[in-house]
Amino acid sequence: MKEKQTIALMSEALEKGECSSVELTERYLKQITGLNGALNAYLEVFSEDALASARQSDERRASGSSFGPLDGIPIAIKDNMLLQGKSCTAGSKILENYVAPEDATAVRRARAAGAVILGRTNMDEFAMGSSTERSAYGVTKNPRDPERVPGGSSGGSAAAVAADLCGAALGTDTGGSIRQPAALCGIVGLKPTYGRVSRSGIIAMASSLDQVGPMTKTAEDAGLLLQAIEGEDPLDQTTVKTSPLVMKKPVSLKGLRIGLPKEAWGEGMSDAVRFHVNEAIEILTSLGAKVTSVPLPYVEEALAVYYVLMPCEVSANLSRYDGMRYGKRETMKTLAETYAASRGHGFGEEVRRRIMLGTYALSKGYYDAYYRQAKKVQTLIRRAYENAFTDVDVLITPTTPTTAFKIGEKIHDPLAMYMEDIFTVAVNVAGLPAVSIPCGDHEGLPVGMQLIGNAFEDAKILDIGYAYEQARG
Amino acid sequence: MSLTKEEVARLAALSRLCLAEEEMEKMRHELDRVLEYVDRLQKIDTEHVPETGTRPKEFLREDVALPADEAARSLIISNFPDRVGNALQVPAVFEDPKK
Repeated sequence: MKEKQTIALMSEALEKGECSSVELTERYLKQITGLNGALNAYLEVFSEDALASARQSDERRASGSSFGPLDGIPIAIKDNMLLQGKSCTAGSKILENYVAPEDATAVRRARAAGAVILGRTNMDEFAMGSSTERSAYGVTKNPRDPERVPGGSSGGSAAAVAADLCGAALGTDTGGSIRQPAALCGIVGLKPTYGRVSRSGIIAMASSLDQVGPMTKTAEDAGLLLQAIEGEDPLDQTTVKTSPLVMKKPVSLKGLRIGLPKEAWGEGMSDAVRFHVNEAIEILTSLGAKVTSVPLPYVEEALAVYYVLMPCEVSANLSRYDGMRYGKRETMKTLAETYAASRGHGFGEEVRRRIMLGTYALSKGYYDAYYRQAKKVQTLIRRAYENAFTDVDVLITPTTPTTAFKIGEKIHDPLAMYMEDIFTVAVNVAGLPAVSIPCGDHEGLPVGMQLIGNAFEDAKILDIGYAYEQARG
Repeated sequence: MSLTKEEVARLAALSRLCLAEEEMEKMRHELDRVLEYVDRLQKIDTEHVPETGTRPKEFLREDVALPADEAARSLIISNFPDRVGNALQVPAVFEDPKK
């Protein structure tokens, strides 16, 4: 593979005048034309608008008023992020004809930093899935092996970055939807601390867990993209005022305390994944880090907590798709039938299943047993992490139990598909930042290492990722 | 525990989802499996544990209408499934409206 076209390298080339944003954009558009038919990473490419943005960026640079490292860099956005005047479907039929009335805050900020938006990428419907097989617009293929899934739900963004069909991409992560596809496609994917990036204009799945984040070729790039989109936003009251992300880009990790959660490192991962993540940890120790095993009680309950809380929020959030103000409306004899037909035919199988689950868990007589109990166990999980971070600086697990699986392999077994998120989901339940960093290939398929940080220590885990990438070469 | 067919039908009605007859049985089976898995939470002692709350935050503003971006306004209107002029048209709320 040729040298990675990173944000950092492209930005440097633009700055030195070695290339223009129009040239970069044209090159990506050409690559998309060549490969997207086979991969289905993009659902729509905004060629004209992208070239217009690139021209504006070049003019800014020529007049000495460039916006910074992201100015002129072509990126992709997941199809659940609003871009004014463009279709936004969230991978669903029910939004087939929906046009975004305004920009999502994260998209607006990326554009304000000069990023060129190449197009919108494929995803599991309403971000519900771990393989991108649940899109109403066809499956995305893993660039390493087109018979395999790219992971999900941000599978289109992951495949686009891995196949070099964009400089970087934005994804969203509710239970692992940035990190798992990043791992399966061999790229970097960061889920920031909950509250770091605005969710305004992101099509909601489970609001207390959703977070927007960068999907990039290096840890440094993830920092550069996050810097552009992060920060408090009056349009999302869960955003937090925090100091801007600053990466130190260390070469030594002397004194760094790494914790390996005992529970995670038991059974339940393939030998190849264990081998490669261990190898990466050895590199980190060679840089001066110390490794200890730490208990994380209750964290093994996170998937169960997630499969109560998430469907509850899904059933509430998706009640807005009633066919009245926007989206598909199927007019029937009565209003109740109109709702049921619009939703029943507009939503796919997995979405219907999660709405039903949430409706059940929230219904009279079950609320205490399911929702309230899950919110209490969530507290226990948060405490376990808080305790662990008094002794260590970072926790490491694999991102996924195995490498990319075959298309069709898990689609008929929802519970097996849910298990894909076993290492990632607790991080959302606890609201923490975590990044997946590629750490080797097994039989040509990438393995990802997950670095979990304490709340708002996003820069620290990116720095560790950076040090690892430099040492590994 | 196991859901009955009637419970699944009731959930579908509460969820405002039409489900084909053959989908009911599949849904029943799959919901059962997930519920069986999440039932592990029932074994955890949480007697003195508080629920995780959302971060309290003051984010109140004056309750006044903010001016809408004209482009956003016209796109919102263009998204209406049915309309009369610039007004959203919806089906009658009452199934048998009184004259």
